[in-house]
Amino acid sequence: MTAITSLPRRAARFGGPTYDERNALVLIAPLATVLFAVAVFPILYSFYISLYGLKLTRPHRVPFVGLENYVTVLTDPQFWEAVGRTAAFSVMSVAAVAVIALLAALLLNEEFPGRRVLSAVLLVPWAIPYVANALMWKWIYDSNYGALNGLLYQLDFINSYMVWLGDADKTLALIANAFVWKEVPLAVILLLVGLKTIPADLYAAAKVDGANALQRFLHVTLPALKSSFALVIVYETMMAIRHFDLFFILTEGGPGDASHVVAWRIYVETFRNLNFGLGAAMSYILALATLALAYAVIRALAQRI
Amino acid sequence: MSKSSALSRRSFLKTSASGLVAASTVGRAGAALAADPIHFATWSAAVDTVKSHIAGFEAKTGLKVDYSNTPWAQFRETMITKFVGGAPIDTLWVSDSWLPEWAEAGWIKPVDQYKALTAYNDDVDKFCVDSMSYQGKQYGITYYTDFMGFIYNEDMLKKAGLSAPPTTWAEVIDQAKTIKSKGLAEYPLLVPMAQETWLIEFISALVFSHGGRLVDDKGNAVMQEGGAAQALNLLVDAVQKHKVVSPSCVETGELAALKSFSAGQHAFGLIPKYRLRTLNDPKQSQVAGHAKIALMPKGEKGSHATVGWMRFYGMTPRAQADATRAANTVKLMEWFGGKADGEYRFQKLLFKDVGAGFGVKSLFKDPEMRAAYAAYGDVDLIGKQQGLALKKDVVTPWFGEWNDVNGSAWQQAILGKVTPDQALKNSAAKWTSLKKQG
Repeated sequence: MTAITSLPRRAARFGGPTYDERNALVLIAPLATVLFAVAVFPILYSFYISLYGLKLTRPHRVPFVGLENYVTVLTDPQFWEAVGRTAAFSVMSVAAVAVIALLAALLLNEEFPGRRVLSAVLLVPWAIPYVANALMWKWIYDSNYGALNGLLYQLDFINSYMVWLGDADKTLALIANAFVWKEVPLAVILLLVGLKTIPADLYAAAKVDGANALQRFLHVTLPALKSSFALVIVYETMMAIRHFDLFFILTEGGPGDASHVVAWRIYVETFRNLNFGLGAAMSYILALATLALAYAVIRALAQRI
Repeated sequence: MSKSSALSRRSFLKTSASGLVAASTVGRAGAALAADPIHFATWSAAVDTVKSHIAGFEAKTGLKVDYSNTPWAQFRETMITKFVGGAPIDTLWVSDSWLPEWAEAGWIKPVDQYKALTAYNDDVDKFCVDSMSYQGKQYGITYYTDFMGFIYNEDMLKKAGLSAPPTTWAEVIDQAKTIKSKGLAEYPLLVPMAQETWLIEFISALVFSHGGRLVDDKGNAVMQEGGAAQALNLLVDAVQKHKVVSPSCVETGELAALKSFSAGQHAFGLIPKYRLRTLNDPKQSQVAGHAKIALMPKGEKGSHATVGWMRFYGMTPRAQADATRAANTVKLMEWFGGKADGEYRFQKLLFKDVGAGFGVKSLFKDPEMRAAYAAYGDVDLIGKQQGLALKKDVVTPWFGEWNDVNGSAWQQAILGKVTPDQALKNSAAKWTSLKKQG
């Protein structure tokens, strides 16, 4: 009906916007303006800033430096050390999330008493805000009164309280553990949705062909889950690469530089050193790297799906 | 139907816009008509005490004060953002750590020309005036001051058969080993080394008591040699060799240290002096009545020196741009940092309220203050230690940037990831690089 009435109006106006189109534009304009102001403009402006030596503590000296900030970042050995830590953190986190989520999804895909309750309980970590999650793990890991030490001591696994976050060799793994705890529920849901879409006929046919449980999992379940896995891996990789909250609350980048990941360096450079130019350049490098990685993962997995 | 609703929307938008413009105009006119207050910004400490003192000022002078406060953790960044954005601030609390940065940027101005403020210099400890000064100019009047104290648990020492607290760092290690061997504390010595704003104070106290400096008078890094190197080596040995300091010191901040000492887990601790009151409060501490202060132990070639710090009332260019505003702001600064109705009222209120230290020498003789101090500390020893306090020598425009690297370097040495020598060389190299950049 709308199409019929609008066509003559458009024709009558020689291709200009129709009355309805104008109305639509007016209605969209406020939201578009807000989106431009809070999303598009900051993104463009941060790139503009990254081309200047903008440091708030030197307000009278803001030279145009072109791509110098990018060169400074990319030639800084400490930045590459942070990239290495970010990669290590991301790989261990995403691998753990994928494996644990797959096992949990397979479990929840079966019918057994208490399945609904277990499903609800599994969602709890997802419902906890990131900062609350970080504070909770800070208490758990505390070397003086932490629950982890208490538990291990009660079970006679340790003779004295251990220093967890203060041990540079364990820090990244412990932060990854807290990250995994928070991220697993969403991954479970995504994989569970994938599992639900696998036709029962495929399993029946596999059974007829004499496939055992492991073979059915390897040749039916896993191939059918590829697209869900791609989504989980891409999403969790992006979350891990840019993750900040746990590093801020648990270790503040320490001990020493053991948890100086890229996101932490961006925070320090931008909000502690107030070096907005360099911080913006670092943010752009991180964003572009994440985008490229996500694209590569999607492409690689898409070719196999 | 469609057209009429569009018209109606149009008129709605017109009406709303007209309403907003009108409200804004009336608001601005109202603000212009009202007397422009003195804009006073602080971090969120002793808020009620500040408000009541402001009320007294307003009642006495008839001037209005617009008071705002921001949490300490975000104060520096918030104020810088406000300075850059041109927000109205006339006077504010300033940490000595930020003085060069803010002075260089022109966000605070010297107050040497206001005799009402500088007249108090003779009555405050030297390090206080030093800490408020940059390149020969004074930038404020004292708000509060304190120093890093060496606190010990007298009860634990007695149980270990030790009759007196240590006077040197070598004695500290010996006594700590004795206490540990008797099973009284696993880690008798508490040195908080978490990466937080307090870290430089802990490091400076260790370095100064070893007779060292982090930076010389010309601003060159000397942290890789002498007393600074001895201090870091002592700490590394205390953690790794003697095991009298917990390796978790790298994740122990000032507040966590206070709780840990309060729980009776340590014999000795580097703790800001003003915490002595909390440590001896039975409601907050299990070692109440046993937490005592001793002079900072000295290193082999050191002294009983410690680090002192200052928070002061700074004055902005906005306040100084107008003679009347400047005069009113000076009145408010004096009311808080100097005398109000003939006495250091705010400093006394602050001391009684939160135990915050004061740099005013005459207050150490004030019977009321002596009585308050005597309830939990040796007032004469506190006065003596404060007189031996030195200002931080690393406070420069690039202090914040270097501080992160230095803290990380000390932590890495404590954890055995790098040698103390290498850690200090890395720190010194960063300092030199930042100094060149200016």
